[in-house]
Amino acid sequence: MAKLVDIVQRESCFQPGSALCPGCMEGMAFQNIGKLTDNGRKTIFTLGTFCGEVSTLQYPTPVAWGRGERTPDDWTKSFGVIHHVFESAPTVAEGIRDMADLLATTGALPGPVQVCALSGDGGALAIGLRPLLHTIARRTRIVIFVMVNEIYANTGFQYSPTTSIGAETSTTPATETVPGNFMPPIDYIGLAVTAGAGLVAQVSPAFPKYFCRVVEAALACSTTAVLFIPSPCITGWKYEDGTTITLARLGCETGFFPCFLKEEGRPGQLKFVELDPGKRPAIEEFMGPQRRFHHLVRKSPETGSFEARPGREQIFSQIRASIQQRLESLTRLTV
Amino acid sequence: MSMPAIETIGGARYPDAIDLAKVRDAHRPLATERKVVEADGNTAAAYACLQMWRAVCFAGFPITPSTKWLEVVTDTVARGTVGCKRVKLMEAEHAVADYLAGAAAACRDLIVATATSSVGLDHMTESTRSLGASGLGNILLINVYRAAANYPLCIEGDPSDALAHRDDGWIQICCRGVQQIYDVVLQAPCIGMHPEVLTPVMPGYYGIKDSHRGSRLILEPDHAIEAFHDRWIRPSQWPGLINGDTALGNCVTSQFFQGFKIDQRSRMERVLTLLPRIGADFEETFSRPGLEFVEPLSWPVDNTVDLAIVAMGPDAGTAAALAPEIGKECGCKIGVLAAQLLTPFPHAQYAARLAHVKAVLVVNQAHHAGHGHLTHEIAQACYPLPKPPAVVSCFAGMGGATVSDATWLAMVRHAVTASRRGERLPRPVIAHEGRIIWPN
Repeated sequence: MAKLVDIVQRESCFQPGSALCPGCMEGMAFQNIGKLTDNGRKTIFTLGTFCGEVSTLQYPTPVAWGRGERTPDDWTKSFGVIHHVFESAPTVAEGIRDMADLLATTGALPGPVQVCALSGDGGALAIGLRPLLHTIARRTRIVIFVMVNEIYANTGFQYSPTTSIGAETSTTPATETVPGNFMPPIDYIGLAVTAGAGLVAQVSPAFPKYFCRVVEAALACSTTAVLFIPSPCITGWKYEDGTTITLARLGCETGFFPCFLKEEGRPGQLKFVELDPGKRPAIEEFMGPQRRFHHLVRKSPETGSFEARPGREQIFSQIRASIQQRLESLTRLTV
Repeated sequence: MSMPAIETIGGARYPDAIDLAKVRDAHRPLATERKVVEADGNTAAAYACLQMWRAVCFAGFPITPSTKWLEVVTDTVARGTVGCKRVKLMEAEHAVADYLAGAAAACRDLIVATATSSVGLDHMTESTRSLGASGLGNILLINVYRAAANYPLCIEGDPSDALAHRDDGWIQICCRGVQQIYDVVLQAPCIGMHPEVLTPVMPGYYGIKDSHRGSRLILEPDHAIEAFHDRWIRPSQWPGLINGDTALGNCVTSQFFQGFKIDQRSRMERVLTLLPRIGADFEETFSRPGLEFVEPLSWPVDNTVDLAIVAMGPDAGTAAALAPEIGKECGCKIGVLAAQLLTPFPHAQYAARLAHVKAVLVVNQAHHAGHGHLTHEIAQACYPLPKPPAVVSCFAGMGGATVSDATWLAMVRHAVTASRRGERLPRPVIAHEGRIIWPN
């Protein structure tokens, strides 16, 4: 792995000028992925439709993608990006991969090409679950990044299949009778592993060294690598400015979205989270700062720390059970 | 890896990044000299695709009646007969279209192709509508006509699939017969990849009636096809994803949307100028008719026609064969036109043909809520004429049904009667098995 100090000095293919919300985790991820792909190989990204696309690839406002102030003299630093339809990023990437491989086979290319697909969790795990799993099953040599913010942020923060239990969204309102979303989130990591990905990970820029190491491994993977990047959404989750990284770390440590890595043929790892619930931070610490959980959590009048609202104990039991089940299931996948 | 780049308004292009000569060298010819083979329509379309050195990436998902195209392509590529090409078997048609989008955008100089039909085309819709506006003229989608609606499911040739996709933004060409299928597929990239057009092409032909009908087929040698293509297809001036520093598929506000649509429409209109030139070059090269707007199948040189029949596909040939006899029986002189270019629709060319006829019988073979897809276009073509003919609309052959001799006679009789009544655009009727079956 390249040294972190070297990686941060590389030229990112994601530059200032996007319309992403200030404090958006997707922007941080793009910045870092952009630097990690500055590795001497020509880079091509495919984007499905998601907030990370509409906020970064607009005409005529400056497109936030591309390396350098002007066209690079070095072809390997040049950058191609295409947005196609919602669910298409992995399949479009597959078409590019095959064309590049075919050109390479005939000797028509001067150097290697790396192809990455970027989607939101709606594009990849709801409307796009089929293309995602089939692209993985075909073992296509691409890296798929899925930004998991647990909502359809692009259309106004509605429920997605990754929405946490209890979360209030635009389509799972918290009322007297319904406590927000009651559907358990889809096991997207398990699905990707089962479909046959060469590398499956859940990583966050909130753990920068680990993030860089895993992304580098993904770029070197000989088949499909899938990286899920939990993306706290300042607007959709409704939290205070400046706490994105804190929430991303807490989200992992409390077990909502644990860091995970499984490479084909190697033992996997569950990182930065304890399997023993007693050793993990309380889930209220993660949920408390987010207004999407305010119907469930409050600040204790006595201690000032976050606690479950009276009468909401049952849903808390459900959330804790769901997290424990997820961690145990991921642990089984690491074998 | 330093190399020169050329700036364009679509980003920068590195002209030395892809050595196309290597791809050309990797092609192996399917035919080294002209030869005659026996083939059905799907096989003819597949052969044409496989003979183009630029066509390197194929993708597909089987759907009746287009399946054999995919079988022939996979079989030939698997045997290594045509050199370095790739076939991808996808999980659904939507994925096929997405895959082709990526492959076509990766290298604008090479052709990517598929074949589909009916609901397969419908399943691609989200993607085909994007691709129609994408500027990726190097995509070839062969549409084997079959009824699109599944209530009831019907696997025979009915162009309701193609006609439902007229607004997708593709150039649509209707073929008739095995040789024409082959010839049109060969010419399609010349029009689609032309720098003034850059619009994907959807050649189509009738399922079963043409897809499964065996016939004599003249295969041209690959080197002759290459020479013909090289006269029309030049290295793209626009960057692709591999040889470019570029972005495709950006979002725009409505303010800028207009400009994109004007550009799309302008490129499509250029087809009307370029298509006959490509067709003429094809005819000169291969001594067979090339692309044209409309085929005058039975049309007197002096233009003295009382009733013009406008139809599509192989049934138009039946009409042409019957025209003298039916004309005699009905007391009128009949001319037959087979529609070839469906999108953009060549209104001016139809207007010129129909300027002096008394009536036009338009035979629609696809369900339509109004007078018929073809009828709308013909009515529009005739509207500016000083003495516009009556436009009589019939639906016949829906679901791929046979349009029998008796059915043609019934439709002509209906058209003659309606036009003699002075009706300019009478209510459409449905004809089947020698009778007008609707309205009762």
